[in-house]
Amino acid sequence: MRLRREYLLLLRKRGSISAEQRIRVLLFFLSVTIFLTGLPIILSFALGYKFDRRTLKFTKTGLIVFRTQPAGANVYLNRQLLDIKTPVTLTELLPGNYNIMLVLDEYYPWINDVRVDANRVTRLEKIILFPLRPDVKQLNRYNFSSFWVDEAKEDIYYIGFEENSIYSSDLHGQHYRRLANFTGLTTKPLGWKVSPDRNKFLYFNTNQIGFSYFVLSADMDKRRPSFIINYPLGKIIDVFWHSDSYHIIIVGENDIEAMEARPHSRPVFLTNRNKKSGAVSYDISTDTLYFIDSQEASDGNTYDNLYKLELNSRNFLSMLDKNNLR
Amino acid sequence: MPGALSWGIIIFLVFLSIWHPIICAVLIIIFDFYWIIRTIYLTTLLVMAHKKLSQEKNIDWLKRCQDLPSKKSWYDIYHLVIFPVYKEGLDVLRPSLEALRQSYYPKERMIVVISFEERNGQAKDNAAALEEEFQGVFLGYLSVFHPDGLPGENRTKGANATWAAKKAREFLGSRGIKYEQVIVSCFDADTCVDEQYFGCLSYYFLTSPKPHQASYQPIPVYNNNIWHAPSFARLVEISASFCQMIESMRIEKFVTFSSHSMSFKTLVDIDYWPVNMISDDSVVYWKAFLFYKGNYRVIPLYITVSMDVAYASNFFKTVMLQYRQKRRWAWGVENFPFLVEGFLHSKGISFIHKLRRSFNLLESHVTWAVWAFIIMVITPLPILLGGSFFSQMPIGYNLPRITGMLLNFTLGSSLIWLFLSRAILPPRPKEVKWFKNVIMFLEWAIVPLIILILGSLPALDAQTRLMLARYMKFQPTDKSRTRGS
Repeated sequence: MRLRREYLLLLRKRGSISAEQRIRVLLFFLSVTIFLTGLPIILSFALGYKFDRRTLKFTKTGLIVFRTQPAGANVYLNRQLLDIKTPVTLTELLPGNYNIMLVLDEYYPWINDVRVDANRVTRLEKIILFPLRPDVKQLNRYNFSSFWVDEAKEDIYYIGFEENSIYSSDLHGQHYRRLANFTGLTTKPLGWKVSPDRNKFLYFNTNQIGFSYFVLSADMDKRRPSFIINYPLGKIIDVFWHSDSYHIIIVGENDIEAMEARPHSRPVFLTNRNKKSGAVSYDISTDTLYFIDSQEASDGNTYDNLYKLELNSRNFLSMLDKNNLR
Repeated sequence: MPGALSWGIIIFLVFLSIWHPIICAVLIIIFDFYWIIRTIYLTTLLVMAHKKLSQEKNIDWLKRCQDLPSKKSWYDIYHLVIFPVYKEGLDVLRPSLEALRQSYYPKERMIVVISFEERNGQAKDNAAALEEEFQGVFLGYLSVFHPDGLPGENRTKGANATWAAKKAREFLGSRGIKYEQVIVSCFDADTCVDEQYFGCLSYYFLTSPKPHQASYQPIPVYNNNIWHAPSFARLVEISASFCQMIESMRIEKFVTFSSHSMSFKTLVDIDYWPVNMISDDSVVYWKAFLFYKGNYRVIPLYITVSMDVAYASNFFKTVMLQYRQKRRWAWGVENFPFLVEGFLHSKGISFIHKLRRSFNLLESHVTWAVWAFIIMVITPLPILLGGSFFSQMPIGYNLPRITGMLLNFTLGSSLIWLFLSRAILPPRPKEVKWFKNVIMFLEWAIVPLIILILGSLPALDAQTRLMLARYMKFQPTDKSRTRGS
């Protein structure tokens, strides 16, 4: 007040104090008052303090952040329905345990006891509410034995080993179409794989590998014939496509070999395997084969080790050349 | 000092956001809350200033002068108008002089001095062309040529204006006109006065106590080419006009800016404008303030003088042009060392008064340089750099919500600015399509971008240059109407 009086005196000394200036001085002090009174309230809220009217003290609180998928769930705090829906933040909660129930029609409720600590944010932002009646939809139109979801191309492939046919559709079951008929193997196939270029697929059992090309149903007459390569030397564990969609990698019980995907092709030996049932994995992005094999160490014991066989184009081709020459 | 302070605040807050994000967040919330209160306060002042401008818009000031008691005869007053000119051509100068000719004030009481820079090759031709048109219209019309490289001078507008004032002094002496009877107005070359300007100026001069101990500041608007200027350039200049309107309400802090008027006697007493400083328009006020030992003030005139929006042929050139112009304005920070040094040698001003004026000047420049940085750059830093511990704290969760809420509230005041900006616009020229009205409405959405690029950044640049003693040269804003219309 003293400051204001001095200021008004100063203005009077200068010869004029207009109505605007009086209003301005009042506005200035009103602004200062709002700032000084509003700031503690905003800061206490920001820092998570709650003013307790009964004790006239500031109490430390915590808060819970809820985010559900889907949004819009009703929130029950200690069995009391709150007038809010998710996503929501419950603020100024005194430290302790709270029973929380999130309820949305047609979905299973989410019920949990949540602990709130002073000056802490409890974040529950990945809550999924599961539907009571899940939306299940049939995608296939014909009998099939196995399927593969091609995430990259957003397609689904269905193979029927009874009818020896392969079909595809999009992820919603639309655009369902037959891609190929193929020649059956002597025994039921162990596995099948679509080539990286999505033009053909292979299927195999322990001693045969079949290949078939995809053709649209309308062009069935123009399709290239499917063929089978016999592999009598050893039991096939797994077969992988090389990224060039022309070579395949055959993991047998005793060795690992490569071969071209064409009729009358001959396998090329890459390396042998001591362990008949070790796990195998192929990374097509780098054309690298990972496999477990056992080796005898200098102490006379046998240990399992993980090995890596790089089959990227340059190494692979030179290896094939060398082995072919041999 | 202002540069060190501005950088100190920014660096301190950046490091604080890493080491003590909670303290940093608290400081940000305090600043943001302070800023919103300040914005509301200043917007209210703007509304008041706008109301006053509307009220005084249609007053017949000359009649008011005529109605004054006879002892204060308006007819004894002479108006000396100085236009310091550098590269501005006839397309800019002719409308300014035409506005003087059209002004509602006896021309036999007006003396016009066009002061060309001698180093500009076009100066003589332009002077001759204008003399042919305007010689004989006023009591005096002088074309003077400011020589380049006079001892003690830098290439500044103040040096040119001072040369013109000295030449005008000779003219006044030859006519036997006393300096006390003369009000000098120093206008930018593109300044077009309102037709009532000199009547209004005379009235305030005659009715103010101690009229020689005051400068008279009109409201600068940038209406000459505002309908043709690009959005962001228009917004920047409208904001500049609004800032002047706000300042006009804070008379205890009000300082002259750009085109202004004052007693010629005072101008001679204080040895004219500074001849080696860029911010001549404000330094001349401080010179008078020190000369009169603090008993000097700026009287706001709620009447407009219209100037050009600075813009160039393409977007990036316009941004650079605007940036350089704002940096030159921000170079007014050189007033601070000038004032402090002046205070050290001045004995008639109370310590409190010195402290307050120094603080006001320092605070305004530091705030100019840092506020947009704090709001737009520093505010997200505690969240980005504070780590998981900070994000688990209530303040880590609340900071973006509180600052967002506060700043949204501030944006609300932008709506008031928007509507007021419509009120000071001149009528839309016929060649401009109506759709431009819509663009002028929507362009306010880019305000947050502008305040950082053309708000704080040029000010920080200017302060850094002053701090590192990399003194700026006067770079006049290129003003030419041909590119716009």
